[in-house]
Amino acid sequence: MCAVEKATAPAGALPVPGIVAQPQTRVITGNGAAAWAAMLCRPDVVAAYPITPQSEVIEQLAKFHADGVLDCEYVTVEGENSAQNVICGASMAGGRAFSATSSYGLVYMYDAMFNTAGYRAPAVMINVNREPPGIHAVCSGQQDMISVRDTGWVQLIVENTQEIMDMTIMAFRLAEDHDIQLPVIVNYDGYYLSFLAESVEIPSITQVDDYLAPLKAQPPRPQLLPGSNLGCGSHGIGMGYVELRKKHMAAMERVKPKLEEVEAEFSAAFGRSYGGQIEEYRTEDADIVLVTSGSAVGTARTVVDAKRAEGVKVGLVKLRLYRPFPKERIAEALAGKKAVGVLDRSICFGWDCGPLYMETRAATAGDGSAPMLSFIDGLANMDITQDHIAGMIDDIQAAAEGRAYQQVTWLP
Amino acid sequence: MADVRKRQPKVCDYYTSEDGFSPGVAFCSGCVLELNLRFISRVLGPDIIFVGTPSCSAPVLHGQNTMAWHKHAYYACTMTGVASSATGLSRYYEKAGIDATVVCHTGDGCAQDVGFQTLSGAAERNEKMIYVCYDNEGYMNTGIQQSSATPFGASTSTTPTGRASKGKTTGSKNMPMVMAMHEIPYVATATLSHLEDYAKKLVKAKEAAKRGFVYLHVFAPCVPGWKIATDASIQVCRDAVKTNYFPLWEAEDGVFRITQKVKDVKPVEALTSTVGKFKHLKPEQVAILQGQVDQRFRMLQALCAGSAAVEAPAE
Repeated sequence: MCAVEKATAPAGALPVPGIVAQPQTRVITGNGAAAWAAMLCRPDVVAAYPITPQSEVIEQLAKFHADGVLDCEYVTVEGENSAQNVICGASMAGGRAFSATSSYGLVYMYDAMFNTAGYRAPAVMINVNREPPGIHAVCSGQQDMISVRDTGWVQLIVENTQEIMDMTIMAFRLAEDHDIQLPVIVNYDGYYLSFLAESVEIPSITQVDDYLAPLKAQPPRPQLLPGSNLGCGSHGIGMGYVELRKKHMAAMERVKPKLEEVEAEFSAAFGRSYGGQIEEYRTEDADIVLVTSGSAVGTARTVVDAKRAEGVKVGLVKLRLYRPFPKERIAEALAGKKAVGVLDRSICFGWDCGPLYMETRAATAGDGSAPMLSFIDGLANMDITQDHIAGMIDDIQAAAEGRAYQQVTWLP
Repeated sequence: MADVRKRQPKVCDYYTSEDGFSPGVAFCSGCVLELNLRFISRVLGPDIIFVGTPSCSAPVLHGQNTMAWHKHAYYACTMTGVASSATGLSRYYEKAGIDATVVCHTGDGCAQDVGFQTLSGAAERNEKMIYVCYDNEGYMNTGIQQSSATPFGASTSTTPTGRASKGKTTGSKNMPMVMAMHEIPYVATATLSHLEDYAKKLVKAKEAAKRGFVYLHVFAPCVPGWKIATDASIQVCRDAVKTNYFPLWEAEDGVFRITQKVKDVKPVEALTSTVGKFKHLKPEQVAILQGQVDQRFRMLQALCAGSAAVEAPAE
């Protein structure tokens, strides 16, 4: 076991590659932002398999690795299922592990995702949202993320390139926190965000080291080492299993306050914040509210401003945390509103509506009978335009005024 | 120096530690898996980590049998994720400078069928681990269904004999040879009737796994699945070697060598006649199986000759 001492011995100052020695501003894509952020967090193991529109993330990480900027084990796996098992194994062994995927890649990881979450392996993964069914559906849509919601992973959805950068860094802080110990997915819309180049503030690696430093002060997480009397994956039978499931659920609930805490620390360090579980925009005095997520939020914000200028008292809720679902904050934000609309970029079979609609409705079930409208738009890269959103707001307003409304509307 | 007689090493000479498994583990009566696990444990020593899946060995390896267990570190995962999970462990140990022997222990169904992609991928990447496939020629744990390791003619619960069927219609996948074609540092076959041979291979495997991927294919008869007597499993192993049905060989950095050369090779019927799952075979079916055995052995000999191996003296 002498080798273990080598691993835990103080390694001295961490290397600071020149390229990330100083904070900087660069025009990079959403995929680029994810890769830069992952690199800044110094993962021990990266498992990578290409898939459009994610491939740029792992290509950029491979380049960082090849250039000596990223000191990690870079595993070019033969499929996403293996990528998932690699990051789970590396994480259980004690390492920081990262992967990125999309669509079929995500669902190909499905069986193993239950293990990663169930073993409480705090890996971090990027999912670039893309439609799953059909080989030509190589286009944006959030059905992939919806389909893995019950695997026990924490899931976040972000809106723009800067938020991809910032949330990916926060994801490591959140996943590995002693109170959480759960894997985290950061989702962002394929095409709209993966290939959108924007100006991004990139922190220095030392700043990120400092931001993640509180993790080192926490009790060490169990590390599966050869020769140790430890094991993982049995998950017990009978009551042992029930206990682990209940603890997993409790950890998931702790994510809600922890995310706000982690973001407050981030805000203090970098001066940017996003509202935690949800962001409320002009909701305070609003009569009606539109709820949505991802890249559509920017468009929605613009339309809400325009409608406000016309005198419509509309607000916007941006959903950031998808699992656990921020039901308390959603209920609070929507309390007393005259009508609510939810815009989904995916569908919910069996409920004939959008999945975020279904969950938002469940979160506000005790809130009386305010009309609630489901809008399904933006499937398969169909643009969610300002006109579409203006129409949605008109429909919500009409419902608030007591006129007949259609509960589920497919656009365009 | 002629008076110094070289003592042949015995099995126990290869033991490096106490048995890591407690008494009373839950295998079927007469199962060779118990011997297999205890043997690996004693030869490779305590500083290993087992990776395995739902399988016959799962209750013992991963602790459902909570009254009798083992002292080794273990990692349990899905059948699709053995070599990849082991990759995750092994790569982190590499990054952190931790000495480790990661030992995957799975059945043939996992290695050859549902977990094959990930096994092949890990071998191609030359990940540092030992992958032990215990080949009981089918899905014994789930109720004796056929796998790609089930031989021609064998009766299983998904290739049953009946008026319209006489067992499995295709031969088994020549898995150790498939793995040898991955050109990994070390591939070997082994079985429980030839423990010295097996021990030497485990020692080589541990060394080779410091350089890359090692695959060991272990012939492991299943008492209820093959319908043999509880005291017959080691004899069946021996018969499999003596008939060339399961030749013992190794490929070390691409050099093939038969490690137990059989002098008087018996017909495959010497094996099939003693095993219940072959009981229904007609002579013409046995002839087909014999043809497959002979063909495979000729190929193995050709590889040995072609890769300039030095053959071991006859047994």
